[in-house]
Amino acid sequence: MTLVAERLDELVTALRTVLRDEQILTSKPDRYNRARVPAPFPVHRWSERLPDLAVLPTSTEEVAGVVRIANELRVPVVPSDGGTGLTDGAVPLHGGIVLDVKRMNQIKELDLENRTVTVGTGINMLKLNEELARHGLFYPDDPASYPCSLVGGRIGTSGWSLIGARYGHTRDLVLSFDHVLPTGEVMHVGDGIGRKISKSSSGYQLKHLFMGHQGTLGVATEATLKLYPKPEAELSPFWAFDNYDDAYRCVGALARAGVATFAGAVLFDEWKVAYLRRDDEAYIPQPADVRALVCAVLYGYEDEVRVGGKRLFRIAKEHGARYLGDEISEGDWAARHDRYATPLHGRTKAGQVVPMSWHCEDAAVNYTNLPAVSKAWHEIVADLRRRTDVFDDWGMFAYTSADTGVDYLTEIDVGIWEQQLDDRAWEMWVKAKRDIAAVAIAHQGSISACHGSCREGEVDLVPEELGRGYGVMLDLKRTLDPNNIMNPGKYLLDQAYDGSQR
Amino acid sequence: MTQLDRQGTSDPVAVPFTPGMRDNPEELALIPDEIAREHVVPPSDDPTPTEQFTEQWRNASYNCFSSGHKFCREVCPVTQVTRNESWTPTAFHANVVAMDKGELTIEDVAADYVNCTQCGACELRCPNSLFTGDFYRFRTRTVDVVKAVRAFAVDSGVHQPQWRTWNARTDERTHEPVLGDTPVSQDHVRDWSEGLDIPIGGETVLFVDCEAAFYRTSVPRAVAQVLQLAGYEFGLMGEQWCCGGPAAEMGYVDQAKRFAQHNLDNWRSTGTRRVLVLDPHDYISFTEDYPKYFGDDYDIEVVLVVELFAQLIREGRLTPSVPIERSITYHDPCRLNKRKGIWKEPREILRAIPGLDFKDVDRVTQWSYCSGGGGGLPVEKPDLTAAISANRIQKASALEVDTLVSACPWSERPLGEAGRSESIDVVDIHELLAESLGIVVGGSRGGADGADPSRVETANDEPVGKRGE
Amino acid sequence: MSDSPNSATNGRIGYRYAEQMTPPEPERVTDVAITTHPHVFEVDPRLMERWVLQQQFPNWDSLRIMNSRADHLAWMHRHFAYSVVTGSELLAEVEAESSSGPGGEGPTGV
Repeated sequence: MTLVAERLDELVTALRTVLRDEQILTSKPDRYNRARVPAPFPVHRWSERLPDLAVLPTSTEEVAGVVRIANELRVPVVPSDGGTGLTDGAVPLHGGIVLDVKRMNQIKELDLENRTVTVGTGINMLKLNEELARHGLFYPDDPASYPCSLVGGRIGTSGWSLIGARYGHTRDLVLSFDHVLPTGEVMHVGDGIGRKISKSSSGYQLKHLFMGHQGTLGVATEATLKLYPKPEAELSPFWAFDNYDDAYRCVGALARAGVATFAGAVLFDEWKVAYLRRDDEAYIPQPADVRALVCAVLYGYEDEVRVGGKRLFRIAKEHGARYLGDEISEGDWAARHDRYATPLHGRTKAGQVVPMSWHCEDAAVNYTNLPAVSKAWHEIVADLRRRTDVFDDWGMFAYTSADTGVDYLTEIDVGIWEQQLDDRAWEMWVKAKRDIAAVAIAHQGSISACHGSCREGEVDLVPEELGRGYGVMLDLKRTLDPNNIMNPGKYLLDQAYDGSQR
Repeated sequence: MTQLDRQGTSDPVAVPFTPGMRDNPEELALIPDEIAREHVVPPSDDPTPTEQFTEQWRNASYNCFSSGHKFCREVCPVTQVTRNESWTPTAFHANVVAMDKGELTIEDVAADYVNCTQCGACELRCPNSLFTGDFYRFRTRTVDVVKAVRAFAVDSGVHQPQWRTWNARTDERTHEPVLGDTPVSQDHVRDWSEGLDIPIGGETVLFVDCEAAFYRTSVPRAVAQVLQLAGYEFGLMGEQWCCGGPAAEMGYVDQAKRFAQHNLDNWRSTGTRRVLVLDPHDYISFTEDYPKYFGDDYDIEVVLVVELFAQLIREGRLTPSVPIERSITYHDPCRLNKRKGIWKEPREILRAIPGLDFKDVDRVTQWSYCSGGGGGLPVEKPDLTAAISANRIQKASALEVDTLVSACPWSERPLGEAGRSESIDVVDIHELLAESLGIVVGGSRGGADGADPSRVETANDEPVGKRGE
Repeated sequence: MSDSPNSATNGRIGYRYAEQMTPPEPERVTDVAITTHPHVFEVDPRLMERWVLQQQFPNWDSLRIMNSRADHLAWMHRHFAYSVVTGSELLAEVEAESSSGPGGEGPTGV
C-alpha cells in the first residue's frame, strides 16, 4: 500500500459519491485476500503487494466513476476479475485500488437469431454455459481454469482455449465490449463500432489492442460473445508411445491432417509421463515402456466426428500409437477442463511428498522447434533441482494452438515449495524464468501463448521480443493513460513516463 | 531442422524419473540441498495461542493457499450471492496462512468467517479433494478450518453477538431457540409425537433435531408414522438434548462436547445401540463430531432415515400407493449430497411415489445449490440466508415445478419463505412419502401454514431473523 | 453414475465407527502406489512420513471422493457435448478396414 491516511480518507470520501459503503472494502483481510494469485511468490513478501482498498462496482457507470476519481487523485487502479492468472496481472505492485468486477456477472441479452450473448465481464464460462445449454448453445472458451476464471480476465489477458483449434481463442470469441479507458471515459470497441460484427475493415483494428493488456489500458465491463451449437458428440482418444520421437511425429501429423472437427491435440513428454506415474490413477499402472502420450479431441455432429475420428486413428496407427482405452481416454479428457496441479504432487528427489505450488511457464513455439525448446527447458529446471528440492520438474505439454498445426502452446510445469521459498531461492527462480523466456525467443517463439509475460524475470525480455513494437507500446500507454493510473509497474511501462518511478 | 536427440547424459537429475521408485539411483537422495531446511521458522518454546493454532492448521490451509485455483468459488453459496473475494473458501485458508506469518490476527478475521454455511461444496469441488484427496488421504478441510477459526475466536474472546446469545439460550434450555421468544424446553421436546404412542428408550431410538421437534413438527410425525406402518420398532430418547452440532459449528466447542456427552450417556442409560436420524445436520454430528470426541468408545450405530426408508421400499415393506399430483424437483441437502455422497436413496423414494412429475437436477449440478440455512448463517446473517434461498428457489422456478422437495428440516424454513413469492411449495420428503402411504401426518410445517388446525405447537412462531433480544 | 458410499458396507446401511476406521488390506501396485478399496489408488504411505503427514480418513470419505470424481467427470462430458463417441469402436473399424486391404477414405495426410 502506498497512500498515507489523509489521502486514503480523501479517496474513500470521493468513492462514496459513486459507490455504496458496502462496495468499498478497506479492512486488512479484504486487502490481503486481493494480493494473492495462483503463481508462487515468497510468502514473507505478501505485504508488498497489498492494495489500499478494493471496490466492487456493479455497472459500467460505477467502474467509470471509480477510474475517473482515481485519475483525478492519481491513485493506481488494478482491475481484477477471477484472479486466477499466472502472470500476476491482477496483483497490485504500487498499492491503490483493486477494482473487482466480479459482481458484474449478469446475462444482459441472449440473441438466438444472431447467436450472441451479452454479459457482464464478471461471469464465469461454466456458469454461462449452464444457462446457454437450455437453448442448446455453447460458448467454447475453455482454459484449464474453466470452472473459475471469468470473461473479463479472459479479455484482459487475451486468453488461450484448449479447444481453440476448432473454435478460436478468446480474441476470436469476444466480438466486442464496453471498455473504461484510464481517464474514466467509456468506449465501445469491437470490429468497427458494431456490437455483433465479426469482421470489419473500418478504421484501425482496435479490439486486439484492448485485449491482453493485463489491465494497463483500462477495464472491460460488458462483452458480446459469439455462440456455437452445443456439440452433439465428443471424441477424445489418448495414445501411448514408447518414445518421444514417435509421439512428436504423430501429434504433428494429427494437427496437419485438416480434419474439420479437430479441436486440439496435446503431446505429453517423457518427464510428464514420469510425473503422472507419481499419482495419476490412469498412468500408475501403465507399463514402463510407455514414455510419451498424445491425445486429440474432436467436437461436432456425431457423424462427422466418427469420420474425422477414424482418420485420426489411422494416422495414430501409422505412427506406432497404442490406444489407451475408452476409460482413460474419456476420463482424462474430462479432467482437462479443470486440471490445475495439486500441491501434493510435489516430491523431493528422494521421493517424499512435499506441498508445492504449481507454476507453468508457457511459450508459443513452432512445431519444428518443440523438441529443442523442451530439451533446453528441462535442462534449466534440472539445474534448479540439482541445487534444491524447492523446485521440481512436473513435465511438459505441447498443445496445438491453431487448426493447421503451425504453433503450439508449450508449457513446462514446475513445482515450487513455496513454504521454503526464501530470497535466495526466489532469485534462482527469477533467473530461471528469464532463461526459459530467452530459449523461446532464441527459437523464434513468443514468451507466452496464453498467460501473458509480465512477471519478474520474463518481463525483462519483452522489449527484446517485441523490438520496435515495444516502443509503440510505450507511446500508446502514455497517450491513453497520461497519469499512469492503470495497473502501474506492469510490462515495464513505467518507462513511458520519462523514467520517473512512482 | 527438427532436433530429436534426447539422449546422452548420465546425470540422474537430467533424465526423467519418478521420485520414490526403489530402483532410482541412490545419488538422488544424497545431493546436498542449498535451500530446503527442517524448520523454516524454528519452533517456539513458549508458543502464543495463535502459534498453537496455526501450527495445527498450517499445512491444511497451505494446501489451498499454494494452489490458488479457486474452483470452489462458483460453487460456494455465499460467494455466488456476494461475489466478495474476502468471503470465499480460499480466503478462509489464506487468512490462516496470514495469521501464521503474523500478518493478520484473529480479531482481524473472525467476522469474515461468519460467511459460510459449511455446506462442503468447496472442499469437494477442490481438485485437492476431488482428484487427489483419496490418493493422499489428505483433502481440503474448509469446513474444519472454518469451525476451528470460529472456535479460536471464541477462545480468544471474540464473539459474534447473535451466536453468543443463541448458544447461551441453547445452553440454558438444552435446545436451540428455534421459536424465537417462545421458549423451547425439555418439557416440550416430545410434544410433536402427541397421540402416536411411542415408547421411551429401547435398542433403537429416533433422534429429532431442534427445528423438527419444535418448528416443523410434521417431519418427525411423518417419520414416526412411516416407521410404525413398516413395523419398525423404535423409541424416543429418555432425555434428548440438542445434538451440539450448531454450537460446534459456531465455535462453542466445550458446550458442544457437553451436549454430546449427555446424549451418549443417555443412550447408554436406556440400553440404546442404534440411533435413527432424520436430520442431515444431526447425521454429521453423530458420524463426524461424536467419533472425534469419543474415539474407539463410540459404539452407537447411526442410521439415516432416508436410507432406511429407501431400503424398506426396496424390501417391499413400504409401498407408496396414494398418487400425489405434484410437479416436483428435489433439493439435495448439502450435508447429504456434498458432505456424505448420499443422493441416490432420496431419488429412489421419490421415484416410488405414484403421481409425481419429477424434474430431477443431477447431484453434481447441485453441488452449487444451497438453502443458506446451515453453519449458523441464518442466526447471524438472515439476509444472506434469504438471498441464498432465493437463488435456490429460482433454479426450481426455471423448471416450472410447483413443489420443491427437501430432506433437511433446516433448509425448509428459509426455502419455504423464499418459495412463497414464486408460488413454490417446499415439502419434506418424509412428509411426501407418508402422504403417499395414506398417512395423515398432522403437526406443523412452521410459519408457512400457521392456520393448519392439526398443528400441535400453538406457539407464536417468529422467523429466526426477527427474534428479539 | 456410481453407487453411493454404502457400497463400502456391502449394502448394509448405517454408520459404525469400527467398520469405518478399518480400511481394506492394501495391495501394492508400484513402488510408489498401493490400492485399498476397489478402484482407489493411494500413495505408498512411506512417502508421507516426513514433510506432510496423512489425515485420518474414514472409509466413507475415500469412497465419497472416488464416486464424486466419477460423477464429476461424467458431468463434464455432458456439459461439453451431448454424447461421447467411443474410441474403441472407431479403432475396431480402422483395424477391420486395414486387414481387408488398402482403400478407405483417401490419404491420411502423413
